[in-house]
Amino acid sequence: MAEEINCEETKRQVHEYLHNELSEQEIVDITAHVANCESCESDYNFEHAFNNVIKQSCDEAPPAELAQRIIDRIRLIDSGRADH
Amino acid sequence: MMTRDEAERLDSELMTQPNEPISAETRIKEFEEQALPYTRLLFGAALTKTKNYADAEDLVQETFAKAFRAWNQFQKGTNLRAWLMKILENTYINMYNKKLKERGSGSLDDLEEFQIGAAESLTARPQRSAEVEALNQMASKDVREALQNLSEEFRMVVYYAVVEGLSYAEIADVMDTPVGTVMSRLHRGKKALFDALKDFAASEGYDTTPTKEKKASARAAKAGNE
Repeated sequence: MAEEINCEETKRQVHEYLHNELSEQEIVDITAHVANCESCESDYNFEHAFNNVIKQSCDEAPPAELAQRIIDRIRLIDSGRADH
Repeated sequence: MMTRDEAERLDSELMTQPNEPISAETRIKEFEEQALPYTRLLFGAALTKTKNYADAEDLVQETFAKAFRAWNQFQKGTNLRAWLMKILENTYINMYNKKLKERGSGSLDDLEEFQIGAAESLTARPQRSAEVEALNQMASKDVREALQNLSEEFRMVVYYAVVEGLSYAEIADVMDTPVGTVMSRLHRGKKALFDALKDFAASEGYDTTPTKEKKASARAAKAGNE
């Protein structure tokens, strides 16, 4: 049975909601509240957009040689213990 | 996707059956197929941690070397990403001879501040959509720089939660802190990051005025000219 939750509770749970840390019932309750509350909806949209901006800023390709260096390294480790 | 209960059950099943010895060739192949695709993410984490390219590359290499040596200890079906991140954290401590901070002693303070922070965030934010607009105008390198300026424990929690999508429990395990501390650092870290970006935007002259107000002031300016 869905329970009415208020803005205070909804706003407090924004990170837990976006990071999938809530129970199914909590998600249902919050989703219902956010759908009908402009203020909470804009808070949720903001945090969601903010997460995307952070993600983009951290997506940096490693130098091209790194992958090969790692492979060489683990093959070297492996040849060092080929006896067992 | 499997639930946590299922994952735990799978874990305990796996633990009762020791991994069968595998050939060197299979081990390398498995490792290359399963672990190496995380190179980009590990590099991102290493860069966030060390703040420079040369150290980040060393850290990623060392992390993979350790992970490969420990490969038969990885419990299949558990989160490989979290396992690799935990090795990265430990490798970093060893490589840079970082002293382990006292664990858990700060958690009470953290919790108190977290509660204060929560109350604060409840004040009305009528300009949220303008804030989203401003955020989307920000250059990635400026966001990145602001993130690098957060203290290590805050920026790593933000990185693990937001960029890597680790669960709170996984982050708590990777960073060896209570889950409550992870929550508090995520909330406070994101808030501090946004405050820093707002200050930066103001100093760089980004326009964060809501569109409605802009129109109103344009009208007022026009009226003033007539």
